[in-house]
Amino acid sequence: MNLITDFIDQWWEIIFEAALQTFQMVSISLLFSILIGVPLGALLVLTRPGQMYANKFFYQLLNLIINIIRSVPFIILLFFILPLTKEIVGTTIGVKGAIVPLVIYTAPYLARLIETALLEVESGVLEAYKAMGIKRTQIVWHVLLREARPSMMLGLTIATIGLIGATAMAGLVGAGGLGDLAYRYGHLRYEVDIMYVTVFLLIILVQSIQSFGNRVANKLKKD
Amino acid sequence: MIQLQNITKQFQTKSGIVRAVDDINLHVEKGEIHGVIGYSGAGKSTLIRCVNLLERPTSGNVQIDGVDLTKLSESELRKTRQKIGMIFQGFNLLKTATVYENVAIPLRLLGYSKKEVATRVDKYLTIVGLTDRQQSYPSQLSGGQKQRVAIARALSQEPEILLSDEATSALDPETTDSILDLLLKINAELGITILLITHEMNVIQKICDQVTVLENGKVVEQGSAINLFTKPAHKTTQKFLNTISQRTLAPSLIEHLNLSGAVTRLTFVGESTGNPLITEAALQFNVKPNILTANIIELKNGVVGNIVTHINGEQADVQKALQFFQASGVITEVLGGTSV
Repeated sequence: MNLITDFIDQWWEIIFEAALQTFQMVSISLLFSILIGVPLGALLVLTRPGQMYANKFFYQLLNLIINIIRSVPFIILLFFILPLTKEIVGTTIGVKGAIVPLVIYTAPYLARLIETALLEVESGVLEAYKAMGIKRTQIVWHVLLREARPSMMLGLTIATIGLIGATAMAGLVGAGGLGDLAYRYGHLRYEVDIMYVTVFLLIILVQSIQSFGNRVANKLKKD
Repeated sequence: MIQLQNITKQFQTKSGIVRAVDDINLHVEKGEIHGVIGYSGAGKSTLIRCVNLLERPTSGNVQIDGVDLTKLSESELRKTRQKIGMIFQGFNLLKTATVYENVAIPLRLLGYSKKEVATRVDKYLTIVGLTDRQQSYPSQLSGGQKQRVAIARALSQEPEILLSDEATSALDPETTDSILDLLLKINAELGITILLITHEMNVIQKICDQVTVLENGKVVEQGSAINLFTKPAHKTTQKFLNTISQRTLAPSLIEHLNLSGAVTRLTFVGESTGNPLITEAALQFNVKPNILTANIIELKNGVVGNIVTHINGEQADVQKALQFFQASGVITEVLGGTSV
């Protein structure tokens, strides 16, 4: 019993701080990724040839940009865009410095997941609303996005979990977080206990996010 | 009400230009139910989608109440589309919305007041008989019920025209009948003009006043349902008729029977259906008519009877009998090509 209380006394603060940093990075990056990724995903679908706002040039350009960003592994992206990070948030280190690369990494990924979700919506429903004389913008909001909500929720869950994975690497720019804790203490200082605890915490975190996402998606689905 | 003039629709495909609809003229009077029938690939779906410009015709014009839709601005077209309801083979409902919401959402988007939305949803769900399923989701409904929701949704905008794109093709025969009854009711009670496309002859039989037969993007026959069922001129029309009634026999059988008389199809329509003409012919002339097959088709606006009979007798007597039938208003056609 003593072992456990000793461990908690010794590490509680460090773990709590790391968890807080992870939480900060994930929530802030996720917020911006949604703000950027969801509209991008919608644009990918709407500008497709034959769709409501078909624009071949724009579609292919967007497609290309997203593919290029998605080709770069996060660990490389992190350093590759340092100047841009500095330009945007004024620093390249700490939680603040990690958020820009995390968003640039996650937003295009989320855009792809949103694209897939929106493509699942049957074109017949959109057509039915068109035939009723309803405006295109209304169709996008009230039919397309509405019907895709369950799949979008699942996509968002996947992106969030991917984002948690990426935050572990953000430790390299001094952003801290649970992944960084496991790496620094568990690997570099060979404190295996702390590695186990952080990994366990990450498992719990990912599990609960996935089940939460599944539950919300099912609730929205109505099948 | 609906006037399609020289509608042509071409599609660019990998193997060249395909003309799905080829110079079609179609006129639908106010209050009638007009059926377009054809095999798959005949162009009927493209044609009906040209009526509300879901598909823009390559050439020709679409007039609704004298207004050419192809010349309207986008916002004017939207206004006109609100007066043209449409139902589909795949129902096209929102999966994530209840029956009530499926009808209410379009009304809200079109800017109707809260009170008006509630009144209309209630009214049209009652007409289609789904008041008790208001809070159900589409996945909890049967195909027929889903189509009823779609019909309520279309009706809730109080359109003058209803377009039906194979609305019963995904339904079983019994459900098809109940949906057809509903369409008849809508037509009779609300006075909505209906243009439907189908590949099922029984749909035409049950509810259509006028019929257009389509093949390879062209009109091959057009006319009232009664005329089409009594005097089908085109081979495709005849083939469609054969799907719901036996109108002929195996050629070998006809050939054999024609040696001792004439295998004749007698088509009865209107008054001639009531008289015992075959018995009279047997009594008056020296012939022995033998009925091989017979059926009665009930159309929306009348009844058509078909009897395939072997008129056994000498050529001259058979001839007299045939003349007697014709004089009594029966359409006769000697099968098997031997002219008697």
